[in-house]
Amino acid sequence: MAEGSSTPEPIQRLVESFHRLPGIGPKSAQRLAYHILRTSEQEASALARAILDVKQRIRLCSQCMNITESDPCGYCRDERRDRSVVCVVEQPLDVLAIERSGGYRGLYHVLHGVLSPMDGIGPEHIHVRELVVRLQAGEIQEVIMATNPSLEGEATAMYVQRLIGPAGVKVTRLARGLPSGADLEYTDDVTLARALEGRQEV
Amino acid sequence: MTDRSRSYSTEGIVLRRRNIGEADSILTLFSLHEGKFDAVARGVRKAKSRMRGHLEPLTRVQVHVARGRSLDVFTQAETIEAHRALKADLERMNLALYCAELADRFTIDRVEQRPIYELLVDVFHALDGGASAQAARYFELHLLAITGYEAQLDACAVCRQKLPEEETLISGPAGGLVCRACRPAASSGRILSVRAVKVLRYGRTATIHQFDNLRLDDTLERELRAALGDLVRPVLDRELNTTRYMDALERADRIPALSPNHVQSDQSNPVPPEP
Ligand SMILES: [Zn+2]
Ligand SMILES: [Zn+2]
Repeated sequence: MAEGSSTPEPIQRLVESFHRLPGIGPKSAQRLAYHILRTSEQEASALARAILDVKQRIRLCSQCMNITESDPCGYCRDERRDRSVVCVVEQPLDVLAIERSGGYRGLYHVLHGVLSPMDGIGPEHIHVRELVVRLQAGEIQEVIMATNPSLEGEATAMYVQRLIGPAGVKVTRLARGLPSGADLEYTDDVTLARALEGRQEV
Repeated sequence: MTDRSRSYSTEGIVLRRRNIGEADSILTLFSLHEGKFDAVARGVRKAKSRMRGHLEPLTRVQVHVARGRSLDVFTQAETIEAHRALKADLERMNLALYCAELADRFTIDRVEQRPIYELLVDVFHALDGGASAQAARYFELHLLAITGYEAQLDACAVCRQKLPEEETLISGPAGGLVCRACRPAASSGRILSVRAVKVLRYGRTATIHQFDNLRLDDTLERELRAALGDLVRPVLDRELNTTRYMDALERADRIPALSPNHVQSDQSNPVPPEP
């Protein structure tokens, strides 16, 4: 933390930027900044370009809200996928986890968050209205809620059920094999595949 | 508390969780013996963590904690009451989270607050058993009393004169009912029906089950919620997150959801949240 005024301003600025990243404390931020200082200019500009590319070339798929370079995304364009099922996840990394498990051939919907009562995060902060809009096309028969088995994930699943249940769309929830408190992202493939098979109606 | 041994055991209720780093969480535990405190649960979000599932918000747990240099560390956690039923119902889960946040905001770190703890245990127990929003009203009423903000319901909060049995102003800043003569002295307030006044008075001595068993109509329920909200608000320095969240849910509910005979809508323009 003790960045004295003797530290050049560009370094201070970089330290502060790193410090704002999740999981990076003041010490790590400092270490990273000084590491960048020591790397070659090519390496540094490659990193800078990669960061900018992520912001400039990646956008959200207008259908499933997953991150993509082309809209609609690869999953939404893939004709071999089952268009009657949508798996709802918290974040893009969860899509990768489910794809890795190999147990799913339907479509996705990425909420980019969960309802979080303790943090005041309500439905307007996540992409849940877009799901309702998608369902209005009438093609989707089943919605699999694959939010994490945490309190927030459960709250989100119950909320979605309340929102779309009355329309006659079947809402199921990953169940077996996923103990509460787990993060989907860190769940092993076998457990995840089994949880998909064993999903239950909410 | 004076015992500075390297670890301690206590039971408590998990009020809050914040995830940090790859797989750790910091939990705010409202404990029986140590009061409210934050401690870190390392690796709790990993599939193989033995503490996972026990350290969820709203769960009543028995924990073993090691003292750390800055933050204490949970070393063991075992569920006493998971409150599964209340977590499986959106409405009751929200009420419980609201009470948990109130408990959090009305207490300070590391001060034993047994009466509040026991009140919270009772309320969670009642909600888990199917209690209505009245359980949260009971919690507010008693939390105020325990923490020294007892609502003045027998005499005027300003002049201490006895009150006639009639519609009466209730004022948060004044801390309770205010007689006609003193109304100009109260900076804000709302008129409370005779029925609502009686329910509040009854709540002071009733058990939570007796109170929850009262059959209140929607009007009376709303009246009580507003009145107790007015009494609680002056004690808090800022709005509760759970209140903000529940308001957002209510706003979202007003946007028409999917109807059984849904029609194709304008897909290019998702519905923005209401202001
Ligand atoms: Zn897509
Ligand atoms: Zn008076």
